[in-house]
Amino acid sequence: MPVIKVNNRDVHIQELNKGAAETVLLVHGMFSNLSVYYFNIAPILAEHFHVVMYDLKSHGMSERTLHGYDLNSMTDDLNGLMEALNLNTVHLAGYSFGGLIALKMALRFPDKVKKLVVIEAPDPKDEKARGIIDDYSREFLEHYVENFTDTTKVKMGKRQMERNHRMYEYLFYQTSIKSDMIAEKDFLDEPEVALLNKDTLLLYGADSNCLETGKELNEKIKTSELTPVPGDHNIPIQEPVLIANMINTFFRN
Amino acid sequence: MDTVASTGKLNKEEIFDLMKQFITEVIGEEFVEEMDITTESSFTKDLEMDSIEIVSFSEKIKAHFGDQIDFTGWLSSMDLDQLINLNLGMIINYIYECQ
Repeated sequence: MPVIKVNNRDVHIQELNKGAAETVLLVHGMFSNLSVYYFNIAPILAEHFHVVMYDLKSHGMSERTLHGYDLNSMTDDLNGLMEALNLNTVHLAGYSFGGLIALKMALRFPDKVKKLVVIEAPDPKDEKARGIIDDYSREFLEHYVENFTDTTKVKMGKRQMERNHRMYEYLFYQTSIKSDMIAEKDFLDEPEVALLNKDTLLLYGADSNCLETGKELNEKIKTSELTPVPGDHNIPIQEPVLIANMINTFFRN
Repeated sequence: MDTVASTGKLNKEEIFDLMKQFITEVIGEEFVEEMDITTESSFTKDLEMDSIEIVSFSEKIKAHFGDQIDFTGWLSSMDLDQLINLNLGMIINYIYECQ
């Protein structure tokens, strides 16, 4: 399991096709991990690109951390990861909260990002997007899992339920994730977003609650194109091959 | 140990023992002790492995067998139903055939 030190913390990374000329860096979403890309999306991109995936702090197999879930800290981590891997510029893609991190990265470090793909990034001022944090409880998790099983068809067993419960408990009640996210609520309304001068592909589920946010971003960013994909917020799971091919075409052209 | 094996082909029993060792390393001994791991054990239902644990498991196979086995590629060719029904016996057969 490849683990590297970034800003003095252990970060779990996975790389494919290291010899390729250009790099695609993939950022996963909150309460998820790099496996959202590992099995389907990354191998397709790796036919042409060097692909780098990493687990965000306290997620997957990266080190747990109490603080620093705001977008500045998250992009400091990403910048540190690029430095640790000697990557000067990358094509960047992020899903959900990872989409916000990717967008922030392109705004803060424009010279390091070639093209940008934002998949299903929510508007952090939307209470529903943040809401799960306020409502979290064991009952919430069990309810969430019941719904979650509709799309994945896998019923979560006792050990997984415990594992997930421990992760949520840790993130919700011990780390600063809640307050850090609330502090970011106006991120998409900041004028700098409209100044983004980077080819940007916005991928949103046609039936997603976040589609409106995609449309608003498309209005704001002059160099963006919005493509609806069949599905809801879970499009990387629902349509991994389609998503990978769209990202691939966009980065290669 | 995560080293690329250079010696001959493993038989199915040896592959089974190796897979059991990898599973123990990934999900932890305390859980494995409560389980009866057989070739019929399914990854998602019986062993309750989630996707990041399957990433770890795949990495162990990659580290052990090197390029002779494209385990991740094999997994990514499956649809969701196939993944859910994936059991240890199928993995053992796949590795056995690839060697």
